[in-house]
Amino acid sequence: MTLIATESLTKTYGGRVTALSDLTVSVDPGIVGLVGANGAGKSTLIKILLGLLAPTSGRARVLDLDPTVDAAAVRARVGYMPEHESLSPDLSAAEFVTHLGRMSGLPRTAARERASEALRHVGLYEERYRQIGGYSTGMKQRVKLAQALVHDPDLLLLDEPTNGLDPAGRDAMLALIHRIGNEFGISVVVCSHLLGEVERICDSLIAIDGGRLLRSDNISAMTTVTDVLAVEVSEGTDLLAARLDLLGLSVRRDGRLLLVPLEDDATYDRILAAVAELDLPLHRLDQRRHRVAELFATREVTHV
Amino acid sequence: MSDVTLAGVSRWYGNVVAVNDVSMTLGPGVTGLLGPNGAGKTTVLHMMAGFLAPSRGTVTIDGAPTWRNPSVYKGLGLVSEREAVHDFLTAREFLLVSARLHRLPDPEAAARRALELVEMTDAQDRRIGTYSKGMRQRTRVAGALVHDPQVLLLDEPFNGMDPRQRLHMMELLHRLGAAGRTILFSSHILEEVEQVSGTVQVIVAGRLAASGDYRAIRRLMSNRPHVFAIHSTDDRRLAVALMGQASVTGVEIDRAGLTVRAGDYGSFTRALPKIALAQGIRVRRLLPSDESLESVFSYLVEA
Amino acid sequence: MSDAAGVIHDIGYQRYVGPRLGRGYVFKSLYVHGLRTAFGLGRSAKAKIFPWFVLGVVFLTGVILAAVKAQVPDAGVTYTAFVDMMAWLVVFFVAVVAPELVSRDLRAGVLPLYFSRPLRRSDYAYAKLVALATAVWLLLGGPQLVMFLVAAFSADTMKQFWTEVGDVGQGMLYAVLWAAVFAGIGLLVASLTGKRAFAAGGIVAVFLMTTPIVGVVSVMPSQTAQDLALLFSPASLVFGVGVWLFGSPDGNDSIGPFGPLYLAVTIGIVAGCVALLQARYRKVASS
Repeated sequence: MTLIATESLTKTYGGRVTALSDLTVSVDPGIVGLVGANGAGKSTLIKILLGLLAPTSGRARVLDLDPTVDAAAVRARVGYMPEHESLSPDLSAAEFVTHLGRMSGLPRTAARERASEALRHVGLYEERYRQIGGYSTGMKQRVKLAQALVHDPDLLLLDEPTNGLDPAGRDAMLALIHRIGNEFGISVVVCSHLLGEVERICDSLIAIDGGRLLRSDNISAMTTVTDVLAVEVSEGTDLLAARLDLLGLSVRRDGRLLLVPLEDDATYDRILAAVAELDLPLHRLDQRRHRVAELFATREVTHV
Repeated sequence: MSDVTLAGVSRWYGNVVAVNDVSMTLGPGVTGLLGPNGAGKTTVLHMMAGFLAPSRGTVTIDGAPTWRNPSVYKGLGLVSEREAVHDFLTAREFLLVSARLHRLPDPEAAARRALELVEMTDAQDRRIGTYSKGMRQRTRVAGALVHDPQVLLLDEPFNGMDPRQRLHMMELLHRLGAAGRTILFSSHILEEVEQVSGTVQVIVAGRLAASGDYRAIRRLMSNRPHVFAIHSTDDRRLAVALMGQASVTGVEIDRAGLTVRAGDYGSFTRALPKIALAQGIRVRRLLPSDESLESVFSYLVEA
Repeated sequence: MSDAAGVIHDIGYQRYVGPRLGRGYVFKSLYVHGLRTAFGLGRSAKAKIFPWFVLGVVFLTGVILAAVKAQVPDAGVTYTAFVDMMAWLVVFFVAVVAPELVSRDLRAGVLPLYFSRPLRRSDYAYAKLVALATAVWLLLGGPQLVMFLVAAFSADTMKQFWTEVGDVGQGMLYAVLWAAVFAGIGLLVASLTGKRAFAAGGIVAVFLMTTPIVGVVSVMPSQTAQDLALLFSPASLVFGVGVWLFGSPDGNDSIGPFGPLYLAVTIGIVAGCVALLQARYRKVASS
């Protein structure tokens, strides 16, 4: 079943600002990264998918439902974690998530139980009776995630889930999202500007640029190995470069790395032999992979 | 070339110690200021920018104190996290105003230069209110650069930027640093800090946990064995051979390959190629697992 | 012989297979939540002070008036007059509670969380409106019930009893009118801003600043103008409808033949507030 499908989706505001232009994508279940969209494109797409905004032209389908017709049905099966501040500071996490559970149609007891469980799954069990106003950024992000899970959605829309988190917090949030996508059986769309984290936890990617589709692909297809070997020694890089050059390997330098074309398996041996002969400390040797960042590296600056 | 120096700096608010006896010197080039949330990074930045006085110690730029010393702003540019820009001005107007406030001899030229540096020349005559978050950010950076300062302080400068804008900003900072300016920027996105510059100052719980090149910092952590992932044509035989090395403290083998823990980085990295060659084993992959800035940072925070 | 056995229970994520209740349940939940918020229930003690103070004042007044009437049957006030008496207190109540109901949500940015749920945008607005109107009606109607009970038990004849019933019925209906108008205007103003102080000020301003207009029009030489004067402020508007439906409390006020006009304008205002509220939240949801 396709998770999300759009067909020539276009949205213009007041005839001047084009947020989305002729977007046609088909997203399979799993963890999907939505990148590159500037503010207008991303939030517009989310609102259209949730049935809060009608497209100017084109169509969209979420979980095989049409949000312009069955908005309530779509929203019942989708959980949304907004980017911005959206918590009531004077309620406790448990009360807040319970209330929103009821707003999703859960009967009172079920809402309370699921709220408690959702908070446990996001790692907020002990603190759930404290007021949200006293929470750290990391805890607040988790509450937002818990309220998106409380009604057991089939699809989660996470908007910049690691926003404002320090490295440890980011790690924890990414691990949590990975668990949700792989163990809980819920598909996740992660909107992020950080290509590193998208590469890390997503199965596929949709890249939007200036409202148009830039690329829609699996992460594995975008991070295939190249036929270039990267070699790094912590000392004597120049020495090694010279030696490899002598051996007839065309060497290119990239900061601390030496890049050598991988002609055949023997290349590995020749490099290893050179390093051993020169008694250099070998820090790294592996085939370079393509990176998602390459998608954005070559174009001009955005003016949107 | 300018130096920013903190000497024995502490800052407290009543009983709360935000910064605890921090001494550091920033020289030309780009330095990343890292730390968990609430560790005191913003306090340090504000003291460097002259917005806060240290409770103890001195904060100086080229020897001149930053507190209550407006002349220091001639050579200092600051992009703080929260400051707003007037929506009704265009980028060009905003920069002109900044240039005039700095009493620059040729405000038009300065504004133009700053716009070119951040690549906002095409959009310069649109109102800031119509800009995306990334463009606003670039405008603010331009505002901090208009008077061509030697020192630039940035608090989370990439916030809200999309991937392309991030790449451009990283390049910009790199260029400015390579040109000899002293730049300090705080960020939580360690992969990006790694790419812009390997030099870091890490603040944990108000104290300076580490300074310098993160790779060198890693080497100093002698109590943490270096972890490498290896993939070869005969992992098991290689594992046995490696276990015979004094520098190797542990070897694990699974379907993905070998995981080796080496207590002595220098010995191990020199020994591995030789051992593999001697055994007739081809090494196809050697990857350090905990050498990245992320790993170094997490070790520093744990400690 | 028993073998030691162990079980690991699955406490991982569970899917939800229970009932998902529909629009009516969600509306009712939000309505009850709103009503509780209005009186500070489920919140801190501080949130209870003002609403319970107001509640206390109106009930106390009602009890005192009931006691007076029981002793001296001709003294005391009618139910509708009681409502008029409490009107300004209720304006302040609305000025404090309406922002609690909607401005808070705006300020906290919670609305995307509501609107990404099956709850309709208009249902959100209606539930809050009905909750506020109910709260106001309780304030104005509750004491009337107390007054009625006292009067009913001290009635000497069935005829007196039924008169009381008729009177309290009028009073309750009158309270409904007040509730609808006050809640409608108050909620609309509050929905325009996330700052509670602004909202409160705005609500009071709408009621206060229209009063001079009534004053000016009511001293104009034309009788028509004087009859129409009460149209120009929400409080006097509802008062005018009361005069038409139930007669003037002290026989002095006159709205001439314009009774139906007053009613129509009242209904128009309430309908207008409802429509504007709907539009407001439609805009907020898609922005």
